[in-house]
Amino acid sequence: MAEGMTRKDALVAAGAVGAVGAGAVGAAGVLGLFGSEAPPEAALVAAYRRGELPQDDPQSSAWDDAAEAVVPLSPQRVSPPFLDAAGVAELRARALHNGSDVAFRLTWDDGSVDDLDGVRRYHDAVAVMLPTVAGDPAPITMGDRGKPVHILQWRATWQRDLTGQTGVDQIYPRVEHDVMPDDVLPPQTASLYWVGRKAGNPLSQVKRATPVEQIVAEGFGTTTHLPELTARGRGVHDGGSWAVALGFPAKRDGVGAALEPAQRWSVAFAVWLGDQENRGGRKHYANWIPFALELP
Amino acid sequence: MAKQRVKVRNWQLGREMDYWYEESRPVRQFTMIMDTNKCIACQSCTIACKSTWTWGKGQEYMLWNNIETKPYGYYPTGWDVNVLDLLGRQEWDGDVYAGETLFEAAPAGEYVLGWAPDEADWNHPNIGEDEPTGSADDTPYLEDLPHSLMWMYYLQRICNHCTYPACVAACPRDAIYKRPEDGVVLVDQERCRGYQECLTACPYKKTMFNLETRVSEKCIGCYPKLEQGLQTQCTTACIGRLRLTNYLSPPEASDPRKPADFLVHERKIALPLYPQLGLEPNVYYIPPIHVPVPHLMQMFGPGVERAIELYKQAKDDPELLGLLLLFGSTERIIDTFDVRDGVARGYAQDGSEIVAVPLREPTFVRPFEFATEVSGEPATGYRHNT
Repeated sequence: MAEGMTRKDALVAAGAVGAVGAGAVGAAGVLGLFGSEAPPEAALVAAYRRGELPQDDPQSSAWDDAAEAVVPLSPQRVSPPFLDAAGVAELRARALHNGSDVAFRLTWDDGSVDDLDGVRRYHDAVAVMLPTVAGDPAPITMGDRGKPVHILQWRATWQRDLTGQTGVDQIYPRVEHDVMPDDVLPPQTASLYWVGRKAGNPLSQVKRATPVEQIVAEGFGTTTHLPELTARGRGVHDGGSWAVALGFPAKRDGVGAALEPAQRWSVAFAVWLGDQENRGGRKHYANWIPFALELP
Repeated sequence: MAKQRVKVRNWQLGREMDYWYEESRPVRQFTMIMDTNKCIACQSCTIACKSTWTWGKGQEYMLWNNIETKPYGYYPTGWDVNVLDLLGRQEWDGDVYAGETLFEAAPAGEYVLGWAPDEADWNHPNIGEDEPTGSADDTPYLEDLPHSLMWMYYLQRICNHCTYPACVAACPRDAIYKRPEDGVVLVDQERCRGYQECLTACPYKKTMFNLETRVSEKCIGCYPKLEQGLQTQCTTACIGRLRLTNYLSPPEASDPRKPADFLVHERKIALPLYPQLGLEPNVYYIPPIHVPVPHLMQMFGPGVERAIELYKQAKDDPELLGLLLLFGSTERIIDTFDVRDGVARGYAQDGSEIVAVPLREPTFVRPFEFATEVSGEPATGYRHNT
């Protein structure tokens, strides 16, 4: 690190390339990760742990068993729409597995909680991207046609949905309503006025079981919701940063190969800051870093 | 997937321009013609629309249709002046647009040069209502009046169901589409993920965000009515009878028997709103005849003066007058029309007559003996019909 350079500056300068781990460092190119060379040491290792994983407890002491990787984040400027200004420079990641589940603990600096969607109001979120098969990963651009990726996204909005505290009454607490369709119409008819919900859009539902959405994608703009509710998670905000735990079964039926030790995996991340109007492709992303699961 | 710029033909600009999808015109294009001269801003159209489509929870601020006073009314606040300011001064070279469109001026990393209203900009649907501006000295036809008048007029606004929609261009998920059968632009309610890129991209600000379902919604051109051959709710509710729901052909396929083709391509009396933005909008306006031309040219392009002259002469132009009288005369969509023997007639696609309207209503003079007595007093005059 150059003299006078802060750790954060160095990470920003490193850009999308490379990952700085606490004890493990891996360097990766944008698309040709690993190439024909031998796999480097994994930048992030999911430590093996017997029993339940703290999939929805980012503050559990169990996370102390896992080494932390510090992952540099870059504003997404590969495909429009771009993120003009970076709002966060790094993500800190830890991972655990117990043979049947895999869990991540992700923390990043964010001074505000943004967990309501409204007009020009966007939410905080974090995503983990995994290849669907071991070995060289699909392009970092959320995969490519015929080369899908598996994504798990925790959203602050969805976490708030679990409390039932969402919608117009929360965005505008002093709102007054005149007659609404459900006041005067039978439920089947009134529900037509929530078209997105009626059409089955997962974004439009307010009653949900998990704040983590599972997605497959074959490139930017192809995000496809998976109805499986096997992912769990929870985020805690301490006033200056988010800590989010999320977990899911290592067996990924219908999505891809099971995540198993002794195989060469990769993982990538993305972070959205709601107050900086991050949403969709306007996000911070990290390049693939080598990822491995510790042998039991 | 990143989209690639291609050249498309925009006849409103008289030239080719850049867009993010190949030119693909629908079988027929939904259009609406607005005669701005007849509007009194009663908002009957707004209420008809809102009480049909957007009275649900989460749609409180949504006005797919609205009427705003120009030049100081806008919903959302300042939408058009902000977009024009962002684009900067641009020029027409005769009938050919010499400036940049919102697609051509898009900065790196964006599909459209867009202006994002603040949340609070959606708070004031009636801002500037009835506020006039300017001096009557600038207006072409009020100069003989003994007092000075200022001007304002009402602009009727729905989604323009553009040939080159900015909302479609900006959506990173291809969740907005233009129906091939009628050119109506719709948001796929299952596919939208609520990024609100369309709210920034649409210069007319006619995509909106549903606060409960958290996806975008927009004017659907009353397509369930179109599919039954009926004009939209805002059209049929208009007490000023200033709207016409119709279909428009591209200029090379113009058919003078068809109402929209006649007004837009043949007479060129109905003009697009802010054509210079490059979206080829499909709502057309007969400009207000009392408003300074420079203002109108900025809003409706270079054909304004000609359109105003035509409108002033409509009383001597039976075909034009007849067609204007067919506005608001039927709920059904008029496929073709003609004017013969002092009667304007509208026909359905199968050629059957839908409606007939006389150019001049017959006048009846009631004889005095029809006057009725009141309370036993002798009849001394007409009594109001109660």
